[in-house]
Amino acid sequence: MAFLHLCKTDEIEPGSSLRVEPDKLPPLAVFNVDGEFFVINDTCSHGDASLCDGEIENGEVECPWHNAKFCIKSGKALTFPAVEAQKTYLTRVVDGCVGIEV
Amino acid sequence: MTSQFQISLSGSDASYACDDGDTLLRAGLRHGLGLAYECNVGACGSCKFDLIEGEVDDLFPAAPGLRPKERERGKRLACQCVPRSDCTIKIRSGAEYASAVRPGRATARCTGRVAVTPDMSIFTFSTGRPAAFLAGQYAMLTVPGVGQNRAYSMSNLANPNGDWEFIIRRVPGGQVSSHLFDTLKPGDSIEIDGPYGVAYLRRDIPRRIVGIAGGSGLAPVMSIMKDSASLPTAGSTPVMLFGGRTPKDIPDVPKLLEGSAAAIEFYPVISAPEPDGSADWSGDTGFVHEFIEHRLSTPLAECEYYLAGPPPMIESVVRLLVAEHKVPASQIHFDRFF
Ligand SMILES: Cc1cc2nc3c(=O)[nH]c(=O)nc-3n(C[C@H](O)[C@H](O)[C@H](O)COP(=O)(O)OP(=O)(O)OC[C@H]3O[C@@H](n4cnc5c(N)ncnc54)[C@H](O)[C@@H]3O)c2cc1C
Ligand code: FES
Ligand code: FES
Repeated sequence: MAFLHLCKTDEIEPGSSLRVEPDKLPPLAVFNVDGEFFVINDTCSHGDASLCDGEIENGEVECPWHNAKFCIKSGKALTFPAVEAQKTYLTRVVDGCVGIEV
Repeated sequence: MTSQFQISLSGSDASYACDDGDTLLRAGLRHGLGLAYECNVGACGSCKFDLIEGEVDDLFPAAPGLRPKERERGKRLACQCVPRSDCTIKIRSGAEYASAVRPGRATARCTGRVAVTPDMSIFTFSTGRPAAFLAGQYAMLTVPGVGQNRAYSMSNLANPNGDWEFIIRRVPGGQVSSHLFDTLKPGDSIEIDGPYGVAYLRRDIPRRIVGIAGGSGLAPVMSIMKDSASLPTAGSTPVMLFGGRTPKDIPDVPKLLEGSAAAIEFYPVISAPEPDGSADWSGDTGFVHEFIEHRLSTPLAECEYYLAGPPPMIESVVRLLVAEHKVPASQIHFDRFF
């Protein structure tokens, strides 16, 4: 496992997200939920929408295309038409930087 | 005099003319553009767009396809917006949405009606132009005196005679279905606008065809089953599952297929066995998704699925196929009957 740096904590306001495109990984969505950071795949498991364009509420993100909701923490698909979870990543904050273990 | 407005798509060179009174979505599809959509009735949210410039009227401001938050941010539904000026819109598009048959309007004369269950009947209509559509598609029907239209799927096949056949369920208190059942007589005229819909039979895919219908979802699956007879089969018989409430709600599918060359396996499922008549029920009892695995001799991931019916049925079937059996979502085509 290695720590992959994605962004600075102060680049993402609480209640918002940032899309990052690291090498050799699918596009990722980094969320700041009340000061806690979570990383999941950005491309919706249902279609090609970017979850970073979605509405965030109560720890859930709503896909901008067909309004499926996902739990940001677990990646779980909560409402149709999505039925498959978003992949989640072990996320850590080190020295003001958000990163994942890969 | 009918006027036209020019609609430009932001981020592309495409533009199209929208006739007075036509929706942004239908006009774009008539022009051959692949604007994203599914239901055409304001329920699925697939056709949402941003109005960059111009003015529109919203036919259905309470449409469930948009969350209040999205409306606040200016999102609108292309299937419910009629332009009042030239417009520039930002909307999602994809080749898969472009209609193989350009949708058009026609006056249709009712030629008959035959009951298939206590609350579902086949309605037949005739138009002056050929009935052109793909198996599984639907049309928007407007009946005189009711200021709204509804989606109904064709249950027959395209034909040069202009014959259109629908299987319609009476919805208690429903504005359009009540009119069709209670007021419309043979010889009366309605307007048919179509075809629409992306859950049509994929003729170039050699996988086994599985049709799953619930209640009023019968029509498009019947059409697909009929059309399967025209495909070079790879030795796999199409399978159809149909879910109804009681034995009375199960149509005589083999009889409905008479006159078609289709040979299929048919499995009816009832959800509410009645103590009286159920003794001679030989089909399955439960919800239709519970019997898919049991009734298919083929591995589930090797089939192509066509679903139609109430949204909860569609959701249960898709969940089962994709989440549990790892069927690629691209092999599942559905219409949710909102
Ligand atoms: C793609 C598709 C295919 C369908 N195919 C079939 C079929 O083959 N057979 C069949 O029996 N049924 C079919 N349906 C259902 C059908 O379109 C009608 O919803 C049903 O007949 C009930 O209509 P109603 O007017 O009788 O009932 P109502 O209760 O009067 O209307 C119900 C529907 O109208 C919508 N609605 C309500 N107010 C408005 C408004 N102001 N503007 C626009 N829409 C409004 C509602 O959202 C709801 O969807 C299909 C639906 C869809 C989306
Ligand atoms: S693309 Fe996300 S719900 Fe359809
Ligand atoms: S196509 Fe417009 S909401 Fe479904």
